[in-house]
Amino acid sequence: MRIGIRMMMVMLLLACLGVAAKEKNATPQFKTAEAKHFTQAEGVELSPAFGDYFYAELREELKKAKLASEVIGEGEAVEDADAPQSIVVNGTITEYKKGSVVKSALIGFGAGLRSLKMDADVLRRSDNQHLDVVHVHVKIDPRWDEKTMAKFAAHQLVKEMKAALNTQAK
Amino acid sequence: MTSAVRFTVSLFLATFFLLLRASAAGQDPKPKPENTISVHLGEPVPAQKFANPPKFWISDVIDRSGNPQPMLVLKERGGIFLDRQPTVIVREALEESLRAANLLAMDANSADLVLKIYLFQFGLAQGSQLDFFGKVEFTAMVKNLKSGESLEVKAAGTSIAKVAVRKKNIQKNVQDDVEESLRDAVRNFLRGQQLKDAVGALRKSTDAAPAPTPNP
Repeated sequence: MRIGIRMMMVMLLLACLGVAAKEKNATPQFKTAEAKHFTQAEGVELSPAFGDYFYAELREELKKAKLASEVIGEGEAVEDADAPQSIVVNGTITEYKKGSVVKSALIGFGAGLRSLKMDADVLRRSDNQHLDVVHVHVKIDPRWDEKTMAKFAAHQLVKEMKAALNTQAK
Repeated sequence: MTSAVRFTVSLFLATFFLLLRASAAGQDPKPKPENTISVHLGEPVPAQKFANPPKFWISDVIDRSGNPQPMLVLKERGGIFLDRQPTVIVREALEESLRAANLLAMDANSADLVLKIYLFQFGLAQGSQLDFFGKVEFTAMVKNLKSGESLEVKAAGTSIAKVAVRKKNIQKNVQDDVEESLRDAVRNFLRGQQLKDAVGALRKSTDAAPAPTPNP
């Protein structure tokens, strides 16, 4: 019985190691990825610094996700040969609610949370074809900084984008 | 009696430490060799390929950040300072990369296009409390001396680095962060579509202009 459990644990460990090694060795799906500054819909009141910080976080998350061999800056030129294998990520922040510390403290259960909604488009660089559309909704404690929200939003956006693009590739 | 003495001593010590902290907080950090970092580009950034490669010359780098202490990168924990002015660092980074791509002229007279750089941000910007947010932002006025025409090219570079607890690690992370954002900004400028368009338009205007007729 004990030997059986040990064998199962060893097999599970080997399987995990195999998956990790496969992910490490996987070649990026695209040659370049360009993130653009997201626009803000009417009525969204976020500081201009938020846009810059979110852009930086998005680029950082794209690098970590290893979706592309190179994450380029906004407006950088790409070789014509690489354009069909390159993506551009742009989007719009559609809704921002500041939240309420009082509601969050008194009611709880998700009331008064700070919330952010955004839509992102992933386009192929050569022909502007939509490869994916991602909708992200992030909620955080109203006492936290809006930049922390940008960090979470960028992380979630890239995670969902990667999952969708990987499914399409299969 | 003993408790009263203990209370008085505790009160005295608390007041002393509070006053000490307040006086320390009021003092601005001073640059010392141990809190000064040296920011370099490292390897030159490869520039984009132009159909007819022009020669650039950097005439001026002007600080437009409005920062009264441009060399102070981080005020907390005794401060972190740059060893040179940001304008000097940016000029050096651009010149290195242009020289490596054989796009740097020997002097202003032999240059096809002259660059005047306006530096708007260099160092750390306001980020979340969980990391350091490095940002370098500048605008270059690209001028064709022959036609007198000029066009504006914007460039920005960002980088995110982890925060640290130890002073030594903070200094290292900040240095890496600023270097990475500088590299990113130089790359954004040299490989940008804006520069490509500006060079194309400015050189076109020179080619289109009639050649000066020799005096009889």
